[in-house]
Amino acid sequence: MRFLRLLTVATGLALAATTAMSQTNVPGVPRNETIILENPEGTIKNPGWFNIWTINAGGQYTGLHQLALDTLWYIDPERGLDGVWENSLAAEKPIYNADFTEMTVKLRPGIYWSDGVEFTPDDLVYTVETQIKNPGMRWSALLALNVESVSSPEPWTVVFKLKKPNSRFHSLFTVRFNAIWMMPKHIFEKAADPQRFDFNPPVSLGAYKIHSFDPDGKWYIWQKRDDWQRTTLGRYGEPGPKFAAYIDPGPPDKRVIAQLNHNLDVVHDIAPEGMFTLTKQSPSLKTWFPNFPFAHPDPTLPSVIFNMQNPAFQNRDVRWALALLIDIKAVSMASYRGAATLSPIGIPPTGTHPDDYHIPLQEWLASYEIDTGKSKVKPYDPTIGNQIADMLRPTMKEQIPTDPAEIRKAFGYGWWKPNPQAATELLEKAGYTKRGNAWYTPDGKPFSIKLMVEGDSRPILTRAGTMIVQQWRQFGIDAKTEVAQGTTMLDRRIAGDFETLISWSVETYGGHPDLSFFLDSWHSQFVAAPGKTQSPRNWQRWSNPELDKIIEEVRRISFDDKRTVELGRDYAKLIVREMPIIPLMAYNVFTAMDETYWTGYPTSENPYANPVPNWGNSRSMMVKLKPKQP
Amino acid sequence: MKAYLAYLSKRLVQFAVVVFVGINITYLVTHMTPINPVEQSISAATTYGATSPEAIEMMRQSLRQLYGLEGTPWEQYVSFWKRVLVGDFGPSLSAFPTPVSQLILRALPWTVGLLLVSTLLTWVLGNLLGGLAGYYRNSRVLKAFGVLSMGIHPIPYYVVAFVLLIIFGFLWPILPISGGATMASDRSNTFAFALDVVVHSILPVLSLMAVGIGGWFMGMRALVSNIVTEDYVVYAELAGVKRGKILRSYVMRNALGPQVTGLALQLGAIFNGAIITEQVFGYPGVGSLLISAVHAGDYSLVLGITTVSIVAVSATVLLIDLLYPLIDPRVEAR
Amino acid sequence: MNTFRIFRDLFRYNGEFAIGLMLVLIVLAVAACSFFSPYPPMDVYVVPPDVPPSWEYPLGTTSRGQDVFWQLTVAIRNTLLFGIVVAALSRVISLLVGLISGYKGGWVDRVLMSINDTFVVVPLFPILVLFYFIMRDQMTWAMLAVITALLGWAYDARLIRSIAMSLRTREFTRQAVFSGMSTGKIVLQEHLPFVLPIVFSTTMNNINWSIGIEVTLSVLGFTDINTPTIGGMIYWANQHTALVSGIWWWITFPVLLVIMLFIGLFLLAISMNEYIDPRSRLSRLGGQA
Repeated sequence: MRFLRLLTVATGLALAATTAMSQTNVPGVPRNETIILENPEGTIKNPGWFNIWTINAGGQYTGLHQLALDTLWYIDPERGLDGVWENSLAAEKPIYNADFTEMTVKLRPGIYWSDGVEFTPDDLVYTVETQIKNPGMRWSALLALNVESVSSPEPWTVVFKLKKPNSRFHSLFTVRFNAIWMMPKHIFEKAADPQRFDFNPPVSLGAYKIHSFDPDGKWYIWQKRDDWQRTTLGRYGEPGPKFAAYIDPGPPDKRVIAQLNHNLDVVHDIAPEGMFTLTKQSPSLKTWFPNFPFAHPDPTLPSVIFNMQNPAFQNRDVRWALALLIDIKAVSMASYRGAATLSPIGIPPTGTHPDDYHIPLQEWLASYEIDTGKSKVKPYDPTIGNQIADMLRPTMKEQIPTDPAEIRKAFGYGWWKPNPQAATELLEKAGYTKRGNAWYTPDGKPFSIKLMVEGDSRPILTRAGTMIVQQWRQFGIDAKTEVAQGTTMLDRRIAGDFETLISWSVETYGGHPDLSFFLDSWHSQFVAAPGKTQSPRNWQRWSNPELDKIIEEVRRISFDDKRTVELGRDYAKLIVREMPIIPLMAYNVFTAMDETYWTGYPTSENPYANPVPNWGNSRSMMVKLKPKQP
Repeated sequence: MKAYLAYLSKRLVQFAVVVFVGINITYLVTHMTPINPVEQSISAATTYGATSPEAIEMMRQSLRQLYGLEGTPWEQYVSFWKRVLVGDFGPSLSAFPTPVSQLILRALPWTVGLLLVSTLLTWVLGNLLGGLAGYYRNSRVLKAFGVLSMGIHPIPYYVVAFVLLIIFGFLWPILPISGGATMASDRSNTFAFALDVVVHSILPVLSLMAVGIGGWFMGMRALVSNIVTEDYVVYAELAGVKRGKILRSYVMRNALGPQVTGLALQLGAIFNGAIITEQVFGYPGVGSLLISAVHAGDYSLVLGITTVSIVAVSATVLLIDLLYPLIDPRVEAR
Repeated sequence: MNTFRIFRDLFRYNGEFAIGLMLVLIVLAVAACSFFSPYPPMDVYVVPPDVPPSWEYPLGTTSRGQDVFWQLTVAIRNTLLFGIVVAALSRVISLLVGLISGYKGGWVDRVLMSINDTFVVVPLFPILVLFYFIMRDQMTWAMLAVITALLGWAYDARLIRSIAMSLRTREFTRQAVFSGMSTGKIVLQEHLPFVLPIVFSTTMNNINWSIGIEVTLSVLGFTDINTPTIGGMIYWANQHTALVSGIWWWITFPVLLVIMLFIGLFLLAISMNEYIDPRSRLSRLGGQA
């Protein structure tokens, strides 16, 4: 019995020790000088690997590509610190020759690596040449395909001779999410094999350098450089946080708890329900939209993607019928609990795009007419956003904006009105028949559709897909979801092994109207034969002569040519007419920021950067953050 | 001695067979996967950045060379065994070119520590309390403990860990619910770091113990209550030997044998439990590594972890079996 | 009815049996309710989301707009069915292996038992995860049941073998051999009845084990999440951060119900074990022979 007593005492002691422990501070890294951000990569399997120029070898969003690396230009998906376009290591915009076979870069002098060595044109030349020489590296193929030669004919100038005309070559060195990062020549040239070199500790070009990292891959701490003025971020003033920690906070529940305990300043993304909990329980919370829907709309466009090589979806009327069967309000509720920013056109409703595309196209959309064979229907409904706002107001109360402009910004510029009648007529026009409660294809088989969703990997889109399938099923189509998680989804998407799929084939700059970032890969020259591997991003395997013409024209004009917007609108109209994908909404990321220790986060009122902390541009945040606590 | 040698060789052969069969199953299963590691890497590398379709094709070719995915299936199989025998599982495909063995070695101490501590504690405590409960059959505390541990015993590891997580993470948040140690903890200060690790391991260990303890408790209680009716125990009591001494020297000792064999048989199941528990508490061990390898489609890593698990568990079982006849001389080696 | 009397006696005199039976009956009743569910189990947003337990929704509703009670009835039915299917399949294997191994002895026994021991020792969870790894979305409910059954027979096969071995030396076996009965016939007609009691009690434990596997795998997302199961419910609740959102009823009730099932089955197993203890039963047999 003595033993039992001993056990009780020991347990008590252990508990007491625990309580004391949980209040200890991190030695040498004071909390009030540290910003703690979530790294969505989770635990890094290979923590000591910083060589980002190898494929997929170590962590990337550990702070490494946000804070430690740099490249020539940045395009902000929002408005930017000083405009959308940022000349970072380059002193000015790219200079092309007349036929786009040569690009000249003027570099900014006075920028230093964290070990005191100056960044020079040699680093850029080395970065390009090394990757061409070692074909297994991350950007080897892109560089080898484009670059004939690279040289530095005069100080602070680098000239690229291209193998073929390419008016968008600079985009390889322009950070949207990431880009080709500069390699420190003086470090890498000492390594025997640049592909097997771990670059540990990393020498940084950004305003922060490595302080310490977890040998088990759960956290990385970066420290502000004493010579932060000698980095490209230095022009904007001194970065606020002395330390930045990128951590793996665990599953969504634990992230919410961590932020409520003020142990995690920036949550990368959580389920909408988690965000609502935070808005209720955390007085120090800051979100992109001050009110519902809170989340930041990324310039990516989740859509229902048809496999256009599948005979079932080659009829435009069928695709339109399926679109008109979607009750987008229910989809918005099911996926984002109403917090979705909708888009009827093939361009995400984010950044500067509404001004360039959504608003100017309103009139055209409103007058757009489809001929069902029996009647003519105007499917567009510009009031969907208001309807969702009205629907949410009873439960979310004053969190729902009332200003029409705010509503449009938050909930999008309208969508298609559900119209089962028109859908019926369109399907009948296409030769489909309804017997009893079920639809049959022209050759008499039951009309069945499988919609592939990603399950766990993208819960929000899985919910949207589940809802869409339910709506199709209720109309009498034998619709089912298919779950293909994570890597299986990537495999099947690339192989065209799906009927329909919820994913995105549209990704844009957000802050710049040029669409070539995704559109160029939609040219029919890249469409693979059925059964063969399709290269990104034309997952729908759609080829269209009209589209090819638009793409070819884009290739001939420069990045900043005013005509890009016009061509972009032509593309948007073509997508509406042809419906190869049913665009749904922006990919809203529920980034939750806590103001206990820091203020000055980017928000829709002060949109100087994308707050989502795994984007390369999120580095701009550091110079705007101000400490809240002494 | 001769008998022991015969027993030894028999057990060694059995060990070899188990490991051989186990690893072969794993090898077959992993190599049946339709997942193409090259496509996995390409997808992962090009998800967000600028890219062009032609570049992807080039990448594909160079990666195929780099990953060494050449040779006939038989050649691959033979080279696999050659490498396994020296503990080399090749490079991890989701952390190329880092060797799989390096990743496993980093995670292994966490899992081994967790398993060792929890298994020993569970086994010792369960048997001790079970023995006491069998001997002092009227103790209310022990009866209550019996009911409690029996109630938890049939619940799967995941559910128990999850419930503990809710209790100590949400309702009464006093224990760390994630990770193996505090962020930026100073690992050079051995004592503080060890304490930190212990604190982080409380919940994982507790959940492993909660599930495991009932089995030993019940087994020992049954064994002891049988033994106390044996003649020699009755004589000892009549002869006035102190009860504590009877319990220690006459009863428990003789009941321990079957419990040691039981431990050997249960190890596989305990290991499963550890993997699941690690996942729940974000513990940086082999279990978490395995699950992240599955998500990343990294089959060389999955194969490596499974192989190491099979070898480690069977080797421990072997060790227990081999030591057992030496500890308990009454047992003649079978 | 002889069996009925046994059950009545057990219920009356064995507290563990009574509690176990009650628990299992409650769970079965809940599962039976699934046939009266007013909602299709796969449909979402059929009721207002996030309603706490109330008269209208006794166990509340989920963030997916499903009634927790009706969802639970279907989930526990599928989970239970899974356990039963696995138990049935794995019983067949363990009986075959155990009886043949025990009856034949010699090299057959040695080969079968080394395979058997491999399965006892090898950590099964990584292997199950491996199967998910290769099958991915083809890992349906039925497939998972088969795979789990293929992995879950070894422990019990050894038990059955030990009984079969003792039966082999019995008089009636020898008689059967002399009268020219085939191995199959002897094993099935003469030996099977003696091992059935142990089969019943291991069944309970096996159901528990396989449901544990199912719950764990689904919670980790390693199964077909379209089929509603207990693990699937917890999975979806976690996806919607139900705990921190205060939707506690979405997690609590499935967990409670499945714990009731675990404890119920376990109590049934141990009380039946006590009743049909193979040793006491065999000694009685020995007395008769």
